[in-house]
Amino acid sequence: MAGKSGRSIKAEQEVSFKKLILSWEGALFILIILLNIFNASISPSYTVTNILREMPKYLAEILMMFPMAYILVLGDIDISVGSIVCLCATMTCFISNAGAPAIVTYIGCLAVGLICGMVNGAVATRFPELPSMIITLGTQIIYRGIAEISLGSGGSVSFNDTKKIMPLSKKIGPVPVVLFVVIIAAVIFTVVLAKCTFGRELYAIGSNKLSAFYAGVEVQKCRFIAYSLLGLMAGACGLFLTAYMYGANTTTGQGFEMEVIAMCVFGGIATTGGKGNLIGAIIAGAIIVLLRIALGQINLNSQLILVIIGAMLIIAVLIPGIQANLKARRKLKQAR
Amino acid sequence: MKRKALSVLLSAAMTAALLSGCGGSSGAASESAPAASESAPAASEAAPAASEAAPAADAASEAGADAAAQATGGADASGKTFAIVVKSAGNAYNTKEEEGFKEVIEAAGGTVVVKEPEAATVDAQITAIQSLISQGVDSISVAANDENALQATLEEAMAAGIKVNGFDSKTNADSRMTFVNQAGTQEVGQTLLDAVYDLTGGEGQYAILSATSQATNQNAWIDAMKSIAEGDSKYSKLELVEVAYGDDEPQKSTDQTQALLSKYPDLKVICAPTTVGVSAAAKVLQDQGSSVKLTGLGLPSEMAEYIGADDAHSCPYMFLWNPIDLGRLAAYSAIALVNGDITGAVGDTFTAGDMGDYTLTDAGDNGSEIILGPPFKFDPDNIAEWKDVY
Repeated sequence: MAGKSGRSIKAEQEVSFKKLILSWEGALFILIILLNIFNASISPSYTVTNILREMPKYLAEILMMFPMAYILVLGDIDISVGSIVCLCATMTCFISNAGAPAIVTYIGCLAVGLICGMVNGAVATRFPELPSMIITLGTQIIYRGIAEISLGSGGSVSFNDTKKIMPLSKKIGPVPVVLFVVIIAAVIFTVVLAKCTFGRELYAIGSNKLSAFYAGVEVQKCRFIAYSLLGLMAGACGLFLTAYMYGANTTTGQGFEMEVIAMCVFGGIATTGGKGNLIGAIIAGAIIVLLRIALGQINLNSQLILVIIGAMLIIAVLIPGIQANLKARRKLKQAR
Repeated sequence: MKRKALSVLLSAAMTAALLSGCGGSSGAASESAPAASESAPAASEAAPAASEAAPAADAASEAGADAAAQATGGADASGKTFAIVVKSAGNAYNTKEEEGFKEVIEAAGGTVVVKEPEAATVDAQITAIQSLISQGVDSISVAANDENALQATLEEAMAAGIKVNGFDSKTNADSRMTFVNQAGTQEVGQTLLDAVYDLTGGEGQYAILSATSQATNQNAWIDAMKSIAEGDSKYSKLELVEVAYGDDEPQKSTDQTQALLSKYPDLKVICAPTTVGVSAAAKVLQDQGSSVKLTGLGLPSEMAEYIGADDAHSCPYMFLWNPIDLGRLAAYSAIALVNGDITGAVGDTFTAGDMGDYTLTDAGDNGSEIILGPPFKFDPDNIAEWKDVY
């Protein structure tokens, strides 16, 4: 299938075992196996039951990782999600305490998240020249501000009737409900990104916005949808968090945006857009969560844990750069 | 292909760095891994058995640990693990609480696990407590970042047979067995009113500089002062002219202090039961060389330069609780809970080593509390040693 330029485009990518192992996702997969062996060796409490019990808080965060990957693939970024979580959690409590039945409470929470995401999307698509970082920095402050105003001087709210949100923190056997939700979301988001037109369009926009536009991709519509999805999933995250915290306060969701972005980046999704996939991000998310659990179990200083994860992230970002650098040098040598 | 190989190499190097960095026991890695996963189902089965066996173990260890028990005034914690969860890392006040906690537990032969969450958030505390449940500690003492938000997690801990007590900052009654309260409302009110009585010479005008008008603890202390003053004719010649609110902001507290001085020329004493207010007022009074005296609740490190008996200093003495003692009492009560000396019911009593006997009282929220005692007095004699502490 040689084109005019003499380059050929293969219809199917060749998939060899070797290539699979040597890809970023393959490397992460090997890393997670090594990590589990390491974790089990340092912590006697590193058992399946304990991991499942410690996981729900992280799983709620991971719900936001999927749409965040979409945003990053677009070449955008959204740092307002932590505040959306806070606002959603707060509103969930207020809706529930006003006497609404459980189902209304759940839908209300998701709706608040969706609206926040749509506002982000509307501003970002209306003013495409503005950097998304700045837009969402603004909404980050606004959403948390609204939550803080609603919370008043006490700074926290709790459910009058915790029975309504109990189903969300239930376990089926040792497995928390939230894990099933995460698995379903993971499958849907991964398939859409990898196999559906919408996913392909996201990559096209992330690689080159202008050429995607000329190719007939509705750039702003795609961006709007991605932001809205992220808002919706932030709502889901907030909903599950309230189920574990029986309420919300001004610090709910603080720093979540950075943790979620870190998982994506560690999973090989470039913040410049157009690169990476959700399989990598999911494995990376699992690595970070399992590492945190194990290091927590051996009572390592909490700040040292942050340092380790930060260092891992830097290395993950550096590797592609080093690779490109080496490649360029090799080419230069060959040219000589 | 080479660059892919490189990526694998680097990630392998990263893992190696992690292994050597924090493990030290990496040699045993592959051997113990399967064993750990096999024991997972067994662990949950063993949980009820473990709690049944606990009293028996107590009885067995009692005889052997008599010597240790005598040394620490009856508290015995040998073979047990006690966890303390503070509000956040990098907080000197928390560090002092940990210090007191450690001292008591280690003297009693127990093991201490300190958890300092990376941020003062509920999320971080939940993560820390969940990790402690996994480790199967015997007790958790927690200074909560939110009164209600830890309930689900702490209930889970108690269901797993872990004794839970709160200290410093309250959790709701459902999420604790008892609470070690550093400042009983009545004790603080009484102490502050007595200080005002002493500084005014028994009669005259005084004002209160508080934080915000909604701050629950501030209002409770001020109400206690008022009701004690009304109920005892001893204080009848004291006149409370105004309760001013500095909102715990240095500038606003400064402005409010100046307003008090100009409004009430006969003012003798300002009482500020807030650390921000007391240091702002101290600076105003000292800079102006005012004859008005100050007392209240303050941090020794911030107040050291204002505390002195002569007229050049604005504050003759002030109060705060001692965080080391708070940590120690939290430790003694945790030992008492683990050993079954107390169950957390109102009316239970226990001996806290050289701190004396304590009784669990009604905390007013359907739970019990243990009150540390009257606030600790900082005066010119002891301020030098405390100003470096916290």
